[in-house]
Amino acid sequence: MTTSTEAAISITALRKSFGETTALDGLDLSVAAGEVHGFLGPNGSGKTTTIRVLLGLLHPDAGEVRMLGGDPWRDAVALHRRLTYVPGDVTLWPGITGGEVIDLLGRLRGGVNRRRRDELLEQFDLDPRKKARTYSKGNRQKVALIAALASDAELLLLDEPTSGLDPLMESVFQRCIQQVKRQGRTVLLSSHILAEVEALCDRVSIIRLGRTVESGTLSELRHLTRTSIAVETAEPPHGIDALPGVHDVVVEDHHARFDVDTAQLDAVVRRLAPLGVRSMTSTPPTLEELFLRHYGDEQATGKNVAS
Amino acid sequence: MTGTLRLLRFLLRRERIGLPWWLLGATLLVLVQSGQSQTLYGTPEALARMRETIGSNTAAIAMNGPPRLLDSIGGEVVFEVFTFVAVVVALMNMFLVGRHTRADEESGRAELIRSARVGRHAPLAAALTLAGLADLTVGVLVFAVAAGTGLPVAGSVLFGAATAGVGLIFAVLTAVAAQVFENTRTAYGAVALVLGAAYVLRAAGDAGDGALSWASPIGWGQRTFPYAGDRWWPLLLPFGVSVLLGAAAVVLLTRRDFGAGLVPPRPGRATASAWLRDAYALAWRLQRGALAGWAAGLGLLGIAYGSIGNSIEQYVRDNPQIADFLPGGAADVVDSYLALTAGLSALLAAAYGVTSTLRIRAEETSGRSEPVLATATSRLTWLASHLSVALTGSALTLVTFGLGEGAAYGITISDAGQVPRLIGVALAYLPAAWLIIAVTVLALGWLPRPAAVLAWMTVAYCAIVTLFADSFDLPGWTQQASPFAHTPGVPLDDLALTPLLTIALLAAALVATGYAGLRRRDIAS
Repeated sequence: MTTSTEAAISITALRKSFGETTALDGLDLSVAAGEVHGFLGPNGSGKTTTIRVLLGLLHPDAGEVRMLGGDPWRDAVALHRRLTYVPGDVTLWPGITGGEVIDLLGRLRGGVNRRRRDELLEQFDLDPRKKARTYSKGNRQKVALIAALASDAELLLLDEPTSGLDPLMESVFQRCIQQVKRQGRTVLLSSHILAEVEALCDRVSIIRLGRTVESGTLSELRHLTRTSIAVETAEPPHGIDALPGVHDVVVEDHHARFDVDTAQLDAVVRRLAPLGVRSMTSTPPTLEELFLRHYGDEQATGKNVAS
Repeated sequence: MTGTLRLLRFLLRRERIGLPWWLLGATLLVLVQSGQSQTLYGTPEALARMRETIGSNTAAIAMNGPPRLLDSIGGEVVFEVFTFVAVVVALMNMFLVGRHTRADEESGRAELIRSARVGRHAPLAAALTLAGLADLTVGVLVFAVAAGTGLPVAGSVLFGAATAGVGLIFAVLTAVAAQVFENTRTAYGAVALVLGAAYVLRAAGDAGDGALSWASPIGWGQRTFPYAGDRWWPLLLPFGVSVLLGAAAVVLLTRRDFGAGLVPPRPGRATASAWLRDAYALAWRLQRGALAGWAAGLGLLGIAYGSIGNSIEQYVRDNPQIADFLPGGAADVVDSYLALTAGLSALLAAAYGVTSTLRIRAEETSGRSEPVLATATSRLTWLASHLSVALTGSALTLVTFGLGEGAAYGITISDAGQVPRLIGVALAYLPAAWLIIAVTVLALGWLPRPAAVLAWMTVAYCAIVTLFADSFDLPGWTQQASPFAHTPGVPLDDLALTPLLTIALLAAALVATGYAGLRRRDIAS
């Protein structure tokens, strides 16, 4: 294994198809060591397939995949000692208790941190004495999460780890990931919960139909989209709609509301200043808007226009 | 009770695939036995000889039932087949009622149904009605098959009714267990325990003075003596007790919350014990229950076969047709018989090996293998962990079979040396069983989707050519692909190591090839 690359995960032009269906169609992903990387995409966009390639469970059809300086397919066992994984849909052995599963998975990886395990059981409020068949979806997910978080692995692959958790447990999870981040460990977090991604992730990649459509820090991504502006001016704000990069303008008397391409924000503010700005609120795009902008195309395009 | 009829229609729809197989199985048992008995013991003289050898054999009585049944040919059919049919019908009822009461409640499906306009008692009432209908069908089918193969009509009605009675008892017993226990498997375990006790009690009773048989629902059925006196009043017992137990289930249902039982489940371990630390430990933990069941089953089968080993010589002299089934003919009857039974047990050991090996596929498709393979567990270790259970387990089932057969046969001829001898005999068939396991691994590596079908087809092929090649007059070449055809038929034939080693080496090569496929393919999710 070489350590020539700094990236914990680096994927270029990854392709994988199952018979007729193409799951990954030239996916790129780069996760730097020590960062929490958000992995966003609608259902069926290829997030889970990507993670299963990283685990060496699936053989890529084409493309370059490196993880922790090794080849996930060839060096699977050696790499697995250094990572831990939470599947999106946790299935457990029905006759084995949650506590036993946590210990077993830890031992299969190479050791359990006993104290951390017990702390996590308390924080996540999980009864380890119950047989897995009696656990709800959320509790099965807690079992997998505790097994993963109780390890010292340098890389955590988390596939929608909180989709079955309640808000209280969600905040416990966020605290745990923040702690992992402080320890300088790397996390690939596939998620649907945008508030969680905004709170935790340094960088995000958005994928769609097996392809990466955006990748960068949140502020970089915001730069690519629109900021919402509501302004009140001394003189009626006419002519704003003629400016480049301005959309969906609504003018009422001295008030104006519109969206502006973040790249054009400076020019628009300069044009507004002479009108005598009395008040102005500017709302940066939420991740949700970023997300919907990319996914929206799949549905009716009319949604974006009508506002 | 609102919605019971609607639910019943829904249950019938859910059961339209599975239930017919149970009914077919029970019916075929009676059909085959009636035909076979009438061929073998059709004449009064043959029946009298049979009564003489078997009627005084305690082991045969304990296995089958009261010897009074042997008074007529119809009774002989009941003697041989009733316990088997009773067990099949009891299990059918257990799964039927369990699946539509506790299992549905546990999975949450029942919650969806109960939230609709459906009364509290409706699911239980619908499940019991379904079981009642199934038992009525079994009764009618048994009657039709028995009467249709020429047995007296009155006795056939009683035979059918007694069979249905056993089914009904186990349906309501399951209904009670489903109220008591929160977990379906625990409920099944409790009912299976009662079924086992029912078998043992009637075995002890029939072998003794008969008193204990009255404590067993299977005993009640047999003691109607169809075709051998036609006693009707014992039918009151299963039907009366069913009404009482059914009422008990209803009362218990109203005393518990939805989803809860009357006995809370015992909590398990909070931490894993020290030995549960690698993939091998996990595979054995997952499969130990099934292995114990198979080993015990083959041990009991061995006892059953061994106990009549000594009387087989006499038996064949009285019934020369039987010799056709024995590989060595009438010349060396006991060794022929021991070789035949050991071959049979090896087919069962191979079947066990296939179920155990297919566990690999089940772990894969259920997604449970994913967290294991995401740890430092290689695919080789993962395969080897489950394969270690299949290979050792199939050997263990053969050992318990040999132990049972050797002990039972040894007791009848006062020779303790039969135990090690027959264990050795059974193990001579182990390489053949391993080869079938190896074929399963090969399929898992290269053709994972149809692997289960391919593996079971292999078992079925070997079973057919081993058991029926002679009676169907199959040409010799059809047997050549079966490892059993190349296994020396000890103790009738001499032990030859070369074919056994060849089979074992071939098995090793197939496993290695299967692993090569498993290593390079995707793991399904």
